[in-house]
Amino acid sequence: MSKQREEAQAVMKRHMGLKASARISNTVIHIVLVLMAIIWLVPFVCIVLQSFRTETNPDGTRVTWMVPYIVPKKWGLDNYVNLFKSDFKDWYLNTFIIALVVAAVQTFIVLCMSYTLSRFRFKLRKGLMQFMLILGMFPGMLTMIILYRVLKDLGLTEAHAVPGLILVYVASSGMGYYVSKGFFDTIPKTLDEAARVDGASRAQVLFKIILPLAKPIVIYTVLTAFMAPWGDFVFARYIAFGDSSGMNAAVGLWKWLTQDMINLRYTMFCAGGVVVAIPVAVLFMCLQKYYVEGVTGGAVKG
Amino acid sequence: MASVKLTKVKKIYDNKVVAVHDFDLDIQDKEFVVFVGPSGCGKSTTLRMIAGLEEISEGTVEIDGVVVNDLQPKDRDIAMVFQNYALYPHMTVYDNIAFSLRLRKMPEDLIYEKVTNAAEILGITEYLMRKPRALSGGQRQRVAIGRAMVRESKVFLMDEPLSNLDAKLRNQMRAEIILLRQKMDTTFIYVTHDQTEAMTLADRIVIMKDGYIMQVGTPAECFDMPANLFVAEFIGAPKMNIIKTELLKENGKYYVTPFDTKIEVTGEKGAELARRGVESGPVLLGVRPEHITLCREGEGIPTILEVNEMMGSELHLHVYVQPKEEGEEDQGEAKEPAPVDPASCLIVRVPTIGLTADQRKNMAYGAPLNITFEGKVMHFFDPETEKNLLL
Repeated sequence: MSKQREEAQAVMKRHMGLKASARISNTVIHIVLVLMAIIWLVPFVCIVLQSFRTETNPDGTRVTWMVPYIVPKKWGLDNYVNLFKSDFKDWYLNTFIIALVVAAVQTFIVLCMSYTLSRFRFKLRKGLMQFMLILGMFPGMLTMIILYRVLKDLGLTEAHAVPGLILVYVASSGMGYYVSKGFFDTIPKTLDEAARVDGASRAQVLFKIILPLAKPIVIYTVLTAFMAPWGDFVFARYIAFGDSSGMNAAVGLWKWLTQDMINLRYTMFCAGGVVVAIPVAVLFMCLQKYYVEGVTGGAVKG
Repeated sequence: MASVKLTKVKKIYDNKVVAVHDFDLDIQDKEFVVFVGPSGCGKSTTLRMIAGLEEISEGTVEIDGVVVNDLQPKDRDIAMVFQNYALYPHMTVYDNIAFSLRLRKMPEDLIYEKVTNAAEILGITEYLMRKPRALSGGQRQRVAIGRAMVRESKVFLMDEPLSNLDAKLRNQMRAEIILLRQKMDTTFIYVTHDQTEAMTLADRIVIMKDGYIMQVGTPAECFDMPANLFVAEFIGAPKMNIIKTELLKENGKYYVTPFDTKIEVTGEKGAELARRGVESGPVLLGVRPEHITLCREGEGIPTILEVNEMMGSELHLHVYVQPKEEGEEDQGEAKEPAPVDPASCLIVRVPTIGLTADQRKNMAYGAPLNITFEGKVMHFFDPETEKNLLL
């Protein structure tokens, strides 16, 4: 009897020991994570703080350049007010238009493409998929020069860069089928078949059966399709130059960082950065939960 | 309500595998036809070709006289129930059933009427607002049937609808399908691998093997007069005993000699053999387990009982024929029993009602049993072609 108790105590001790060591490693991990989070957040916090800085010089002019301290001495919304009085509102609108149109069109193309590759069997289907995979391995930058040439001939650069940029972002979107095709593959084909027998066309199957079941992947596709043009600088800079009316927010804001502008616009630039970040942050906060939502339960006997 | 006609239908997959060979079948209006066969025999493929879910490689499928080869499933006016139910998981039961009607742009009040009506027939009214995942297997299958029912289509296709259900539920649903059939009064094509389902549901059974039709006929025809060895063994449970033996013709009478026992072929079978003038020769003798009777010691064929399966109203006895006792002097040392020759294993089906308590008690492993075959219900197959000699 006592032997058993001893054994039980030994087991308990071992468990307690495990617990203690687990607690230590957890603490270490959390400290590391907190440090990383701080490092990661510092630039962002700085930008937010700078954007509210509204100090004035002794002569009454605003302090708009960089200062060697982080927390503003005087707070205010002047930077934001001035921001929307400047060209920034055009750039912001342009960015919005580009991102929304691209998000809509690209999502449509990607989902149709994924459904096709997932459900239809046609000649060279495998070949097409491999071809697109290999094509996707080349950096998009390689195409910049020729794309510029094409867009220039079409008159879609500089002041008319917005449709040009939309065209470029949307053009290759069919190649981004991988994630959603993989998801569609997990939806039982008998659902398609049942719907088709029920009188649905292929398009109706996609929109009434498959997409509602693939909500997480639809949202993922929309988000990625929105994010890429929203934050794009390199290509936009290449196509949209010269005329301020064709620029997106990234290119426009960058213009304020040139040597002769930076001291006048630095705080406004920070405010611009914050304004650009807001929609994306809101989007992610709203749609986050769909990433984890499982929806296919009950479709097929499990 | 429509006839379905398949003419020389063939299915060849991309990898050159032929799943269905020259399938010819005329299905009458309002007929209940069951495709039955082991897995991989092409029965589901044939059904899916009728539904339009599988391309038809060769031949034609007609529904009501119209060739539908190139029609999309939605244009064929068919309804189908799938083995795994295939309910739309994001819709309620009501929406699942209403889906096809909404696609047809039917007014909402009419849809309501039809859906509630179907739900009432199937006893799922209280689940109408639930999602499929909150239903049990049997309830899901009812919803799937309801979804097909409301379409009031020409042909009703069912692809192994009961094979995902447990045995008890399967029997219950089978009976419900028979009732449903009375109410629906339309053409049914039903696919199953379960011969019991085929026998109980069908007007006509189509038995398939490796893409070929083995026999088409009413359940009684297939049971009483199997066209070949495959059908004989497939239809009926437990399966028919097949014994390699000789058919003897003596003085106009026919005898079989299984296990060195001479049994006269009597009744219609005997007369039919005579009418056809069948000669003596090797034959595959088919005897159903229920056509083997027990007899007293010293009579018939002596066998040893191996397994006794108690089915309630009847016993399924697995016996093997006692091997000829040769070299008796060895028996003392060689206790190890010789392996049983599979060809000498038989299954006997005995109704329990005719047995005394003593008899039942004695039917244990190793018990000797004497059996004999009913002379008037034997089946004869050609050992080469495996075809029924009387067909």
